[in-house]
Amino acid sequence: MSETLAYTRQEMMAIATGREIRDGELAIFGVGLSMLAGYFAQACHAPNVRSITEGGVFGATPVGGLPWGIECNRISSNAVSFTNAIDALGFLVASGRCDVGVIGAAQVDKFGNVNTTGIWGHEIGERYAAPKTRLTGAGGANDIASGARRFVIMATHEKKRFVDQVEYVSSPGYLDGGDARARHGFIGGGPSAIITTLGILRPHPQTKEFELAGWFAFSNIDEIRANTGWELKISPDAGPVPEPAEAELAALRKVDETGMLRKK
Amino acid sequence: MSLNKLVSLREAVSRFSADGIQYASGAALPVGSDAIVFGRELLRQKRRGLHALFHCNSQQLNLLAAAGAVDKVECGFSGLEVFGFANGLRRAVESGRLVLEDYSNLSMALRFLGGALNWPFVPATVNIGSDIAWRSAFEPDAHPSARKIPAITDPFTGKKLGALSPLKPDLAAIHVTLADPEGNAIIIGTEWSRFELSRAAKKVVLVADHIVDTDCARQFPNLVRIPGVLVDAVVWWPLAAWPQGSPGAYDVDEKHMRLMNEQLGSEEGAARYIDAFVTKTASVDDYLAAIGEETVERLQKSSSSFLLDPYRKWIKPREAIDSLLAQNVSRGDAR
Repeated sequence: MSETLAYTRQEMMAIATGREIRDGELAIFGVGLSMLAGYFAQACHAPNVRSITEGGVFGATPVGGLPWGIECNRISSNAVSFTNAIDALGFLVASGRCDVGVIGAAQVDKFGNVNTTGIWGHEIGERYAAPKTRLTGAGGANDIASGARRFVIMATHEKKRFVDQVEYVSSPGYLDGGDARARHGFIGGGPSAIITTLGILRPHPQTKEFELAGWFAFSNIDEIRANTGWELKISPDAGPVPEPAEAELAALRKVDETGMLRKK
Repeated sequence: MSLNKLVSLREAVSRFSADGIQYASGAALPVGSDAIVFGRELLRQKRRGLHALFHCNSQQLNLLAAAGAVDKVECGFSGLEVFGFANGLRRAVESGRLVLEDYSNLSMALRFLGGALNWPFVPATVNIGSDIAWRSAFEPDAHPSARKIPAITDPFTGKKLGALSPLKPDLAAIHVTLADPEGNAIIIGTEWSRFELSRAAKKVVLVADHIVDTDCARQFPNLVRIPGVLVDAVVWWPLAAWPQGSPGAYDVDEKHMRLMNEQLGSEEGAARYIDAFVTKTASVDDYLAAIGEETVERLQKSSSSFLLDPYRKWIKPREAIDSLLAQNVSRGDAR
């Protein structure tokens, strides 16, 4: 897939996500790709990032491979504190104290609303019925999307996933855009970026519609537009995203010790 | 003499559960601690029509859903994290056999807190403005739903908020790492919502990986987050969360996590799974044999094992547990 590249597309995505996290921030990561991106940031440019998990595991780093889940023993073997969900997702996230969260999306729309609940294949309509394909539900992502100062969405860039309007809002982005979040009384600021397998989208400062902000070296504007389900605008500042630096790649591969991101 | 609440798994299920109850699992997230053996026994005793309150799905809910024992679920997360979608639960939801009401991981914990405090509702700044608030699977014709997470006004600022309904489950089966015979329990790893759930549920059964002497609780009273006064019964069952993990005690059984989820993905597979790992695992010995001696040993050699070290000297051997159980069999029959 990436014969000519010194890195995989998945690695580029993880590094681009990690670059969104700043040193010293209070951050919350989910399991999988988002956790790798977070620990990459810590190993690379944000050594003082303070990371927590939804269930209240503090100060831990993965041991023996990528955790199967966020309270798996692989993330419980060097913690300094175990608390609970009301503490982590409530006191620290819903309260507005958490600086940044990273969440995944099965479907995301032009205002950064995320669907991880189900695929109906059409608008749900007036009467609710079970989805054709049931997904994982909101989990803690709704709480992060509601309360964190900002959050980053990671998603595979495909037309069926990048839709004009999600079928179900599991985790709120900017809803119908503009000042919708303020009207609904959200404590958190909303999504600051969508990092995809092809590039980076960021919200327009006023309309909050996501626009193309950057493309990866192996992609381009046409490919990204062709894989986006709405008429994607190009931000005036858009440009190519810097490829991973050697130090970044080395830091990521130290974190991704089992090579999960190098498999495809 | 201290109160001895140790009973067998069979007796706990038969005495505290019934068809159609609101049943809550006290657990960590999908691959962590959960009293999965309690779900296996619910199936052996053919409980039906359960209304499950799980802050998150786990292999227990996946199994109960696949077996058709659950009609309604309220939960915050319905997957199995890195192990993917929960095939048994998914199959039941997609076919319409089971109705799943979506919340989030925090809102489930807040609803248990509301139940514990006997509050009429809990003000929420999460789940608002999303389809979690507007759509109700229990009330499919209401759009937007006015009863699931209705909008309320903050009397101090005039701002809009959501109101979460409190939960008071009929029964909570709570997985703990250590419990003494009175039900004083220590959880190693994150509690998730077990603290508030133990105060919200009408009946509380602890399912413990290890039984310890009460002196252990007296040594670490700050760590006993579920005191015995809240507890109706204590069940001892080694590797009670298998194939999920229990910090300090045993790791996730990756192979069985995958096998179980794969089998629960079809009606025939689920029947095979239930035969091999539910029907035939009614005793502790049969259960451990089904896991396999080598696997048990491997899972117990966890990088987290040191977490159990401070408590080891109080862990009761099998014979001591058997004799405590025997006391209650002779006494329990009279109850």
